[in-house]
Amino acid sequence: MSPKKTPTRTWSASGDLAARRRALNAASAREYAHSRHLAQRDVLLSILTPIVLLAIWETAARLGWIDARLFSPPTRILSQGATMVANGQLWANLLPTLLRLLTGFVTGSIAGIVVGLLMGVSRVVRAALGPMFTALYALPKIAILPLLLLIFGLTETPKILSVAISVFFVLQINTVAGVVQIDERILEAARAYRATGWRLFRFVLLPGAMPSIFTGLQVAAGSGVIVITAVEYVASNQGLGFLIWNSWLLFQPAQMYVGLIVVSLLGALLTGAVVLLERAVVPWRRANTLRKKRNT
Amino acid sequence: MAVISSGIRPAFLVEGVSKMFAGRTGEVLALDDVSLQLREGSFTCIVGPSGCGKSTLLRILGGLETATLGTVTANLAATDVPESAFVFQEHGVFPWFTVLDNVAFGVRMAGVRKARREKIAHDWIGRIGLTGFEGAYPHQLSGGMRQRIAIARAFATGSPSLLMDEPLGALDAQTRMLMQEQLLRVWESDQKTVVLVTHQIEEALLLGDVVVVMSARPGRVKEIITVPFPRPRPADLEGTPEFAALRQHIWNALRDEVRASMEFS
Repeated sequence: MSPKKTPTRTWSASGDLAARRRALNAASAREYAHSRHLAQRDVLLSILTPIVLLAIWETAARLGWIDARLFSPPTRILSQGATMVANGQLWANLLPTLLRLLTGFVTGSIAGIVVGLLMGVSRVVRAALGPMFTALYALPKIAILPLLLLIFGLTETPKILSVAISVFFVLQINTVAGVVQIDERILEAARAYRATGWRLFRFVLLPGAMPSIFTGLQVAAGSGVIVITAVEYVASNQGLGFLIWNSWLLFQPAQMYVGLIVVSLLGALLTGAVVLLERAVVPWRRANTLRKKRNT
Repeated sequence: MAVISSGIRPAFLVEGVSKMFAGRTGEVLALDDVSLQLREGSFTCIVGPSGCGKSTLLRILGGLETATLGTVTANLAATDVPESAFVFQEHGVFPWFTVLDNVAFGVRMAGVRKARREKIAHDWIGRIGLTGFEGAYPHQLSGGMRQRIAIARAFATGSPSLLMDEPLGALDAQTRMLMQEQLLRVWESDQKTVVLVTHQIEEALLLGDVVVVMSARPGRVKEIITVPFPRPRPADLEGTPEFAALRQHIWNALRDEVRASMEFS
């Protein structure tokens, strides 16, 4: 194999150190620029794909290739959205959903984490509650909505409870798993340094379970949005779920699309908030990626 | 019974210790009638085939396990510091604490106030050469650096004895050699009673005053060797014929035991 001919600059062995340094810096800058270029291209492509698809949709609907009554063209959805923002209809439906979702999510999460931690640290509690919760977890949470409606009537309580219950189970399971999965060698080290009781909990068990708890919060954010939407389909006369359902009854597809978009945005925002919280609370998990970023 | 004697009082007196583990598949005798006497300020290395109970013995010394039979007497210094501190493989370092908080953990658990424990931790971080990394998290560091955290954490407690369970076992050969030198330097400047479990004969001879050779399971003390090399130990110690002869001697003692332990499993 013949050596590949590459343009090279050569330096004498004694070395023009400054020239060598300059060349090195220039090459490094080129490499950096190239990787930056690739990263920018990735971002551009990720934005371009949905824009192209939307443009195709728009064209297809306008030219009658698809039924514009069912597949409202994007511009139509946009103007519908603007109208709904202007006349307050969107806000009137967004606010109740937001309140129900947040109240249910926060109370359900806290209860789930507390119970999960108790189960994680106490064998007695784990034995008493574990199998029962596992059995209850299999029950589709939305299926108990009629029962909740029966008990609490058509108030806010059954809607919030539905979200809270589904969030609770996810968090409880993830928290127990987080505590139980802590490396035996870590626990041994804690024991060797005489961390017991509250200090064991505060300095070892709680931080050890944190990553798993945040995984649970992310999953729960998604399922909370699903549950509140489904609840509002059947048991509410306001909210984004109601908006979507009602659009079907009234045959208003553009309005339905607006509802769908806002619901997905809500889910994305809640998940994003959880991710931000995780970065603040679990800094050791992201420290690694930070360093990698700085290196590139 | 073999006794490592000197005029000074022993840091650990192990008398007739046996340990039985009861498991689902029956009972396993891990240690059988082990007796040892460890001089205060001495560096003892325990070698033996895997599964011979050397880690169990260390854990009994430190009170993490109790002996089924026999007694361990630790010479309690009249202070409020715990009598012994452990160094585990790097996996015992807490991933959620910074280097500073990890090194300070032992003293923190002993109830030392923040200002003082951070001063102690800073001191030890400097002595193990991690200055500048106080705020880093363990997974940002190399395996060798993490292991130094574990060692500093143990030294920082101020405990008169250190119990190390294959502290350098997870490191590559070059890092391991550097760490052995560093460990020796730290120990020479701050003489504590050290018990170090290892599977490397060379390591035991480089570091220890005394090498305890254990038999295959059930673990018994097979031989106790006083290492004759003077301190500070020269860098080329491993190349000397005396070192080679002693290594061969230990290996001869161990060979049958390793074979026996392989037949066990």
